[in-house]
Amino acid sequence: MLSALREADGPATAGWVQERLGGDLAYTTVITILTRLLDKGAVTRERAGRSFAWTPASDHAGLAARKMRKVLDAESDRGAVLASFVTGLGPDDERLLRELLDHSRDERED
Amino acid sequence: MGLFVFLPLVLPLTAWPMARLAEQRLHPRTATRLLTGVAAVMAVCSTVCLALVMVVGTAQLPGNPLPDGWSDPEVRAAVPYDEVVGKAAIPALCAVVAASARMLWRHGRVRRGAHRALAGLPGTSVAVLPDDVPYAYALPGGRRDRVVVTTGLLGCLRPAERRALFAHERAHLAARHHRFLLAVRLAAIANPFLRPLRTSVTYTAERWADEEAARAVGSRRTVARAIGRAALVSRGTPVATLAGLAAPGPVPRRVAALLGPAPAVRDWPSAFASVGLAAWAAAAGTAVSAMSSANSAVTMFLILRAATPL
Repeated sequence: MLSALREADGPATAGWVQERLGGDLAYTTVITILTRLLDKGAVTRERAGRSFAWTPASDHAGLAARKMRKVLDAESDRGAVLASFVTGLGPDDERLLRELLDHSRDERED
Repeated sequence: MGLFVFLPLVLPLTAWPMARLAEQRLHPRTATRLLTGVAAVMAVCSTVCLALVMVVGTAQLPGNPLPDGWSDPEVRAAVPYDEVVGKAAIPALCAVVAASARMLWRHGRVRRGAHRALAGLPGTSVAVLPDDVPYAYALPGGRRDRVVVTTGLLGCLRPAERRALFAHERAHLAARHHRFLLAVRLAAIANPFLRPLRTSVTYTAERWADEEAARAVGSRRTVARAIGRAALVSRGTPVATLAGLAAPGPVPRRVAALLGPAPAVRDWPSAFASVGLAAWAAAAGTAVSAMSSANSAVTMFLILRAATPL
């Protein structure tokens, strides 16, 4: 069911999924499975006319990641807005950092 | 009084020793609060004085909408009348207002954009994005505060280090660090002499979150390793501004601080240590700054009320 949804180009209706899977499943079964997947968070749905359009959740994550990169890349000085976990390293920082981390490992082994 | 009105413009210099010493000698939480408070008060005072100088210096220029009485001899006794300084204050004040507005607008735009990007995901407190570029940050506001982290970063951390990363970002959100950072950035715009305080608070806020994370995961070493590893995998983006400096950047200093002993929690440093002296100097500078700008403003208001028939 999920792979069928992923093959769809964008959100798909339950009828499209049923066709795609080869007609062995009843329409209501497709709806039931999709609803279960929705409860688990594996798919999401949005209203499209009188029925729902379904999208696999992993697609949403990928889409969100791309959108987020766009937001961050548009900001030349992103450090000025968001507190990121680490900032960039200066020329000597990498060597210094490796020394510190190596040193901390040695101490633990002693 | 006269020239006292210019004092708040240069008094931020008294906070420089503290900005330097507080990073190493104070608990990061104390340092962040202290430095942000000092920066905010000094920025407000300096802007008030800039406005006063502008009003008095320009009130008699032709085509000025201000009443001529606003630069009466009596007013000039409170705030020195100087056409050149007054004229120079106009672009300065405009620049401060424009730069602040631009900063706030950009801040809002990035935050809104980030929340919009996450809108399609389930509303969990942690949003994991499938992206090879390693990054993580705390995103305040929106429907709920969220921690954003990519699979690229999580993939190179061990489980304990991931916990340290989440604890660090949650500490940022819980203590509302973005407000401190916003305040010092605005202060640095209002008066460029306050820039060292912005740099210090940016560092001490990270250190504060590091210490909270160390407390949450129970190991300072784990947090240090998480920071080190994350910095080494995301080293593709060097910071141009640091290139010319010989001093180590913030990341190695944070790691070194975590590998050292835990900082002592004290609300106010001892008056005899050098950091204590620096703190008192900054406090005195802030107090004088506040008094002289308040004094000038109140005196001028009283004179103006007496001088102009309203």
